[in-house]
Amino acid sequence: MSELSVSSMSAAGGLPQTAALPEAPPKVTVRNLNFYYGEHHALKNINLTLGTNRVTAFIGPSGCGKSTLLRIFNRMYDLYPGQRATGQVMLDQTNILDGKLDLNLLRARVGMVFQKPTPFPMTIYENIAFGIRLYEKIPKSEMDGRVEKALRGGALWNEVKDKLNASGLSLSGGQQQRLCIARTVAVRPEVILFDEPCSALDPISTAKVEELIQELSENYTIAIVTHNMQQAARVSDKTAFMYLGELIEFDETSKIFTSPTDRRTQDYITGRFG
Amino acid sequence: MAVESNVVDAAGPYDRAKALSAFKLGDVTFYWITRLSAISVLLILGGIIMSLVVGAFPAMKEFGLSFLWTQRWAPSADPPVLGALGPMYGTLVTSFIAMLIAIPVGIGIAIFLTELCPQWLRRPIGMAIELLAGIPSIIYGMWGFFVLGPFLANTFQPFMIKIFDGIPVLGTIFAGPPSYLSLFNAALILAIMVLPFITSISVDVFKTVPPVLKEAAYGVGCTTWEVVRSVVIPYTRVGVIGGVMLALGRALGETMAVTFIIGNSFRISGSIFAPGTTISAAIASEFAESDGLHQSGLILLGLLLFVLTFFVLAAARLMLMRLEKKAGN
Repeated sequence: MSELSVSSMSAAGGLPQTAALPEAPPKVTVRNLNFYYGEHHALKNINLTLGTNRVTAFIGPSGCGKSTLLRIFNRMYDLYPGQRATGQVMLDQTNILDGKLDLNLLRARVGMVFQKPTPFPMTIYENIAFGIRLYEKIPKSEMDGRVEKALRGGALWNEVKDKLNASGLSLSGGQQQRLCIARTVAVRPEVILFDEPCSALDPISTAKVEELIQELSENYTIAIVTHNMQQAARVSDKTAFMYLGELIEFDETSKIFTSPTDRRTQDYITGRFG
Repeated sequence: MAVESNVVDAAGPYDRAKALSAFKLGDVTFYWITRLSAISVLLILGGIIMSLVVGAFPAMKEFGLSFLWTQRWAPSADPPVLGALGPMYGTLVTSFIAMLIAIPVGIGIAIFLTELCPQWLRRPIGMAIELLAGIPSIIYGMWGFFVLGPFLANTFQPFMIKIFDGIPVLGTIFAGPPSYLSLFNAALILAIMVLPFITSISVDVFKTVPPVLKEAAYGVGCTTWEVVRSVVIPYTRVGVIGGVMLALGRALGETMAVTFIIGNSFRISGSIFAPGTTISAAIASEFAESDGLHQSGLILLGLLLFVLTFFVLAAARLMLMRLEKKAGN
């Protein structure tokens, strides 16, 4: 808490990041992406790139397709019949939309944190170890180390180190969300998707999670969907504004929030609609 | 217009108080009706136990605790010898085998229906399960007697007997000769009968798993099997075990179908292909032509079934509590 508070204060200050970052090499490249829920055309011809180890925020009114876009990056939509995507989404050299792709491997490379905390119904330790065990057979001692590292990565270690065998569900909402982040990090993904990760959290937990996202961006490519524009301004390097299934504007966060080129972006960020 | 509204206002408070008092009377009546309904359960249960104890008293006095470990059942001997070991053994063994078969199959069907099944196949299978639950037990008995029994005796039983012949423990369990009427046949019928309980309850509780929780598990790269094993089943454990207990209760007490196909033999055999009997089957087949001590002995059997069911369900609940503790809840 104490080591976090200083930096989270500054994160909560709401200053847009200075746009001095050099253009990052692309990690995920989206080309001509269209998405359909049955007959409904939910995403229309999306083109954008997520820079390596950069935070990209997606903003827009409800139903604009930002969560839909996020769920394409790990093919979560595949769980439901009648949903399909066309176009191309390249993760490095792999086309994510390729029907023959191994989904389990994809999801190990592209982790996801959800709107509501989703700890698995098991102990805190197992919540982390579970994901690791899916891919690696490692001895208990090494697993202990990995769990600790992941929990430290989720800024949760100090709070739970004495009760690793308590149920993950016994934690508070903010702790559960950080547990989920730790769980995602433990699998060592390359990309982490955040789907409104703070919408169910109180302001202090939100500050902690935002702080965490900024730390994670040193090692991971991050995409975050948020309804909170200050949050987008605080944590992201680039921001995409979406409206009715279209990508309206995509640029440096500082530019989107200070001098948007499209009228609709301007209306949205100034709170005139949405 | 104005006059009218004045009248309503004046009448308002009076009417409201009256209406409220009427509600209050309704509330009190409602309270007592529900309370009496709840109390009646206790009264009925107590009454049943009382009459069982009274009816069983002569046999209890005559045989004492040895009733529990005597295998011989000779109501017409002089003096009569009655022992419950055979029926108790048969009840436990048939229920155990039935659960051994029905739990994996029932939960398997539920997993298929909720996680894997294509939409168009869901309704037909779901309806078939419901129909299975609606078949009267006498039909199962007849089917087991005329169809399943001969089929098993001609195919499955000789096969198993041949395979395990000469192997120490298994050789005894699967010893011949094949029989139309056996513990195993009864257990198989029981398994089919309790399957719908396990399946429909499991389906219901599996549906309560929040989709986002499953997505989270898929999100770290789980296969469907891993999601089911590590998220769906742990999340719904209590509900599934509840369904299993309900099924177990049914299996322990099921009478008609079992009476048809178990062979009604009080001798205990190590082989599951040998005829046997269960408590409820023994009562059903002998009660009509019993009297005196014999009848009292049968009532004592019924009391035993009561106690047995209670203990089995209590043990299941205890197991559940220990599971919960282990999971850290």
